[in-house]
Amino acid sequence: MLQLAWRNLSQSRTQFILGVGGVALALLLMLALDALMAGSEKDLVAYIEGVGADIFVSQEGVKNMHMASSAITYRDLALASHAEGVISASPVLYTTGVVKTNGASVLSYIIGYDPNEPLGGPQTVVAGTTNLQPGEAIIDEAVARSQDLSLGDEVEIMGQDFTIVGLTRGLTNIVNSISFIHLQDFQALRGGEAISYALLDVAPDANPAQVAAAINARNPDVLALPTTDFSREEKQIIRDMSVELLNIMNLSGFLIGLAVTALTLYTSTLRKRQEYGVLKAIGAKNRNLYTVVMAQAALSLALGFVAAIILVWLLGQLLPLAVPGMGLTLTQTGVTRVLISALIIGVIAALTPAWQLSRLDPAQVFRS
Amino acid sequence: MEPIMQVEHVTRRFGDGETEVVAVRDISLEVTTGEVILIMGPSGSGKTTLLSMLGGLLQPSDGRIRIGDDELTELDESRLPDVRLQHIGFIFQDFNLLSALTCLDNVALVAQLSGISRKEARRRAKELLEQLGLGHRLNFLPEKLSGGEKQRVAIARALINQPDIILADEPTANLDSHHGHETMRLLRRIAKEENRSVIIVSHDQRIKDIADRIFWLEDGEFKNVVEMALDPVCGMSVDKVSAPAEAEVDGRTYYFCANGCRDEFLEAPEKFLVDKLPPVHKN
Ligand SMILES: Nc1ncnc2c1ncn2[C@@H]1O[C@H](COP(=O)(O)OP(=O)(O)O)[C@@H](O)[C@H]1O
Ligand SMILES: [Mg+2]
Repeated sequence: MLQLAWRNLSQSRTQFILGVGGVALALLLMLALDALMAGSEKDLVAYIEGVGADIFVSQEGVKNMHMASSAITYRDLALASHAEGVISASPVLYTTGVVKTNGASVLSYIIGYDPNEPLGGPQTVVAGTTNLQPGEAIIDEAVARSQDLSLGDEVEIMGQDFTIVGLTRGLTNIVNSISFIHLQDFQALRGGEAISYALLDVAPDANPAQVAAAINARNPDVLALPTTDFSREEKQIIRDMSVELLNIMNLSGFLIGLAVTALTLYTSTLRKRQEYGVLKAIGAKNRNLYTVVMAQAALSLALGFVAAIILVWLLGQLLPLAVPGMGLTLTQTGVTRVLISALIIGVIAALTPAWQLSRLDPAQVFRS
Repeated sequence: MEPIMQVEHVTRRFGDGETEVVAVRDISLEVTTGEVILIMGPSGSGKTTLLSMLGGLLQPSDGRIRIGDDELTELDESRLPDVRLQHIGFIFQDFNLLSALTCLDNVALVAQLSGISRKEARRRAKELLEQLGLGHRLNFLPEKLSGGEKQRVAIARALINQPDIILADEPTANLDSHHGHETMRLLRRIAKEENRSVIIVSHDQRIKDIADRIFWLEDGEFKNVVEMALDPVCGMSVDKVSAPAEAEVDGRTYYFCANGCRDEFLEAPEKFLVDKLPPVHKN
């Protein structure tokens, strides 16, 4: 019976491609989205986790960077810097903006920092310098590559021209990229004295959580969070914002997979109606015929699943080349979720044809 | 001989009231082991309905059908598949092989359905197909075979579970007369040498000569039963009642198609009394 299922599936190439390929594509959709999400989460917090700060101090109530606006004063910065265990407190200005070059715009976090302060700027650059002067900018190499920019070229940030003096690596993600300008320029463009965040470096023997708690206790206008918490909040915000979209996409993937599998099984059963009738007449029981349909569904799904995994892997290799900042990471949860979806799809998709077979009248064989 | 199948007063009606059709009406029949029965009749006379009931595919409205120890008409619906699998071999007009499976697998599958391991099923199927002259076609798909070959695969499939009764619905309808005749001779040989009863439904006049008995069905009733005999000289099948010539030798009556055959026979009866049919396989 299992053999019959396999032969039925593999008998015609079209049928095979439809049966396996359709399922593979649907599962690929689910798997790729998941992997994309996992891959981008890692990149999303590359600046936060890579800047070297132990604590982020922001305006009271602001727990992250994405879509947030934080304003604290130099007094807040000074207060934080005097807390027990704090080695340094560096100001950064932050906004979401665009980097414009010859007509094209790239969404970017704009960070204003002072190279004379210990923290705020990129830790390393792959070209140029981290020692930024007014009128200069550092952008990510992925943006530079996609916009065909190199050191010395001009870009427009917040309505003003800057000369590129450094290129970073790994600061481009699915949502945006990170670009740096001098704190002074940022302040001049924005106006006012406020800063966005204070990045604290604490002594190796100090506990960031305790230091943060002490700062919060002393100054109710700010919120100090250890980097791990700040990073987690950032991830969570983005996950929350995209979860609706992901759910819709996962659901459509599920429905496509269901439709394709169900349709292939249904048509292939319908096409073989006569043959199944013959089997029933000869003495096959409904149970035997269910086995064929179920096995056929399972085979389509198993092969589709394997094909989908291979395709996601391939996509993971190719995507970063085509779209900078896009990476795929297969996670165990993601794969498990897709596998479970596939199983549910299989069972549902096999029900209708199985029911059809159970209703076949074996006496039909003698009537043409 | 003990009848392998008993059919008693079987009637089958379709629909009711104004639209009621009596497809088969009060048919009784005993089938003995090794016998070849041909049921003939015009279209709509009830042949297919009768055959379906004999095969446990359709229950009669009235009457009883017994195969071996099983009373088909009293069996639970769910037991019928097993009876069909074990006791009946089906041969169809359109061969009805599974298009995705090779000849070997088509035959082996039916053995597997009855619970035999795949390996053993394939061994038996191979042996059977080889005996039917299809050893060189084992791994062919049905679409690659000629009509005659397909029908032989179908016969192998019908035989694989060693059923007592073989039911064939118009088995020659899709064959040319040469292959049709070959198929019928094969069925007869199987009946005689392996003691299986063969019931054939057909309106093909050319196959009359292989039957032991011919039933003529009209409007669901048997109108005429013809006992057939083989002319030992020319091999033609002749109706016992209307045979042009007959002769008695050692207390047995022989029937001939013409006086010429009888005369030739009487000159040296022993010459014609050896079985001229070629040997067939033994399982
Ligand atoms: N399932 C059915 N429902 C209603 N009428 C049927 C059915 N099967 C057969 N009949 C009727 O029974 C009669 C005999 O049919 P059938 O057994 O197919 O004859 P044959 O095989 O000799 O051509 C016909 O009048 C046919 O219309
Ligand atoms: Mg018919």
